[in-house]
Amino acid sequence: MTRNIQVFINGLAFSRIALLPMLRTLFRQKYAMAMVVLQIALTLAVISNGLFIVSQRLDVLQRPSGIDEAGTFALTSSGFTESFNPHNSIQTDLAELRQMPNIVNAVATYSFPYSGSSDWEELQTVAGSDQNTVPAASYKLDEHGIEALGLTLIAGENFTPGEVLWQTESNKTFPSVVIITTSVATDLFNTLDWGSVVGKTIYINATYSAVIKGVVQQLQAPWDAVGKIENSIIYPRVITRNSARYFVRTKANTLQATITEVEHYLASSNLERMIRNVQSIQTIKKQVFGPDIAAITILLVVISALSIIAAMGIAGMASFNVLKRNKQIGIRRALGANKMDILGHFIVENIIQTSCGVFIGCFVALGLNVFLVSQYALPKLPLSYIFTGIVCLYLLGILAILKPAIKAMNISPAMATRSQ
Amino acid sequence: MFYYYLSLSLKSISRQKSLSVLISATLGLGIAASMITYSLIYFMSKDPLPHKSERVYHIQLDNWSLNTAAIPPDLPPEEVTWLDALNIVHAKQAKFQAAHAITWGMVTPSDNQIPPFLGIIRATHGEFFPMFDVPFLYGQAWQNYPREQVEYVTVLSKSTNQRIFGGINSVGQTLPMLGKLFTVVGVLDDWHPSPKFFDVSLGQFYPPEDLYVPLQIKAELELPHGGNTHCWQTDIGDDYHAFLSSECVNFNLWVELASHQDKQQFEAYLERYVEQQRSLGRFPKATQNSVLDINQWLKHKEVVSSDIYVFFYLALLFLLVCLFNAASLMSTKFTAINSQMALRRALGANQQAIFSQCVVETILLGCMGALIGFVLCLLGLEGIKFLYPNFNAFITLDMPLLFITVMISILSSVLAGLVPSIKVCRLAPAEYLK
Repeated sequence: MTRNIQVFINGLAFSRIALLPMLRTLFRQKYAMAMVVLQIALTLAVISNGLFIVSQRLDVLQRPSGIDEAGTFALTSSGFTESFNPHNSIQTDLAELRQMPNIVNAVATYSFPYSGSSDWEELQTVAGSDQNTVPAASYKLDEHGIEALGLTLIAGENFTPGEVLWQTESNKTFPSVVIITTSVATDLFNTLDWGSVVGKTIYINATYSAVIKGVVQQLQAPWDAVGKIENSIIYPRVITRNSARYFVRTKANTLQATITEVEHYLASSNLERMIRNVQSIQTIKKQVFGPDIAAITILLVVISALSIIAAMGIAGMASFNVLKRNKQIGIRRALGANKMDILGHFIVENIIQTSCGVFIGCFVALGLNVFLVSQYALPKLPLSYIFTGIVCLYLLGILAILKPAIKAMNISPAMATRSQ
Repeated sequence: MFYYYLSLSLKSISRQKSLSVLISATLGLGIAASMITYSLIYFMSKDPLPHKSERVYHIQLDNWSLNTAAIPPDLPPEEVTWLDALNIVHAKQAKFQAAHAITWGMVTPSDNQIPPFLGIIRATHGEFFPMFDVPFLYGQAWQNYPREQVEYVTVLSKSTNQRIFGGINSVGQTLPMLGKLFTVVGVLDDWHPSPKFFDVSLGQFYPPEDLYVPLQIKAELELPHGGNTHCWQTDIGDDYHAFLSSECVNFNLWVELASHQDKQQFEAYLERYVEQQRSLGRFPKATQNSVLDINQWLKHKEVVSSDIYVFFYLALLFLLVCLFNAASLMSTKFTAINSQMALRRALGANQQAIFSQCVVETILLGCMGALIGFVLCLLGLEGIKFLYPNFNAFITLDMPLLFITVMISILSSVLAGLVPSIKVCRLAPAEYLK
């Protein structure tokens, strides 16, 4: 039987590699081998799970919000005197801002993507309190809102100035028209024909009704309260409070200059209020995603440190072996093995080691994922990440042994004649 | 004998310098990774009021409508209504009781040199301060005022006192804010509880407020509702006081009981209270009160984010890899001194002596590992502070952590060296003496 296998192996292209003696040597150094194999197994578990978490966080970070993130900023104007008139202040400020040469448009709104707060409403297509509802975050914007945020209106029309309600917080008069996102349109009417949605009536919180005037391509909710980040609805409303928030969109490459200019202008134009929280949307986004950025950084540091440690372990064992087998390698060379045979020997030995490691590692990786899924509600690990991890580990192993293997390859056949 | 082993080990380490450094560095790296993540969990879940956290309770009542849940699947809201807050506080069934909410308003110091600013304010009953052990620099808190009494007094945080009064003892001074004239009755010392257990609505590590005013001021001056506001009635009208008399929740309610045993009695009181309110037409749902002590509450709010736990488990695996790595390095190290050991055996050292010497050597390596790990840990924590600016306030390596670091390092070093040590001491001397 053994002979048959040998015959079969000899027939193959890598027949010059003595597989069986190699296996025997490897299994003789049980302890060292086990340590390296376990390192590889755990490394596979950590890097496959780690990379998966990293890629998920990257997806979240790179998800577009629908607004012009690069050219926009927001600020707060807080009036603090008895005589301060929020309505007049907002109107004067916005009219002035909209005239500035570097500003595309500006709008007063307390919510915008990443701002972190807004009301969530329940929408339905049929009146009545026992109907299925679709959640959506509400934005209150005037007719300049679509341009100021940089949204794309793909069906219907924008609000007209006459439709916009200027209200105090407690005024509950409801607007007659609304604009929704494509995601809300799909959820409500189960259609992809946005034009067909325009003109339909929807009911909000089972209390109010309004007609859909337009559909915007995308506008993410300010915060993800119910797992429906793409669902937003825009009301033609401006809420006047002593503390107002302005959202300003600037022309390309003028953001920093405009921020300074606007802050300076507003601070000196009305002394009954103060200007606070002047921040670009990208800064706000960075704060919102701070924990995700931190998680990505930490995981990448752990993954790279772990890869280095594992590579060092593999390299260490290989160089130890080269040292120990100095004489044997010399003998093999003297008996006719060429340099490539020696190199091949170490590479195949490494491949066997890595294979044992990744075999165990697959189970550890899946086990770790099952644990994380059950404890911390992480999603299931797709097998592609394990495969990526396996490929990385094979490459890492070969890179790690390259130096000792080349050293072994260059051992002179004369070594055979020397005593160790 | 120990000193002999120690000197032998030191010699052996200095002979194989680079290998020894490699072993301790590997161990140190693994220890640093796990200690950094562990210290995050340790600090975030640290008991904010260690001597009485088991008798300070967060109160929740389920005043929601029949067919809906305040918090899915079916949990009571985390705040209470104005009505319940006042009723329960003024019933005085506990040692201390306070309802509080976050709000804000313009602070306009009378000194024209100091620009007015938007102050973040906590409106609260006076027993908030003794209940949460809030430290005072000057003056003291107010008592819980009777229900209808409105007093224009305020307590300033240390930094607000610095900002407005330049850090002097400002007790008794007046401060114009919110359109009224307030009297300063107290100034706090540095106080930054992390996690901010008494109100996590703005974030668990959010700094405490600038100013504190009696809760009644909020209704009197109709101050805005900060934090979480949650309503189930759709039509409550426009009036500020309509909000206060509605079923909208916005107020954090906490009590301190004299002892842990009083909890049952207090829960019975709450049940009676809900029954009584139900007879007035409130509380349509079945009674579902929740009385959680501080640590239960923090656990419920998942103050330590699951990210941190995931990092911790990954770091433990990392430590394990480092251990295996160190084990194979130690095996190499001991194999290299096989002949020396064989010589000692031949000269009369027994297996136990050889083993003891190996263990001493691994402990030494572990100490070196702890040192390297400690330095890496400090660097890593700086990195964490950079990544999570919110954690800045409370991350410092303290003695217990330091002790754990050293112990884990030595333990892992001994573990890693165990099998190689056993192998060395069981060698047959003859073979290596040739």
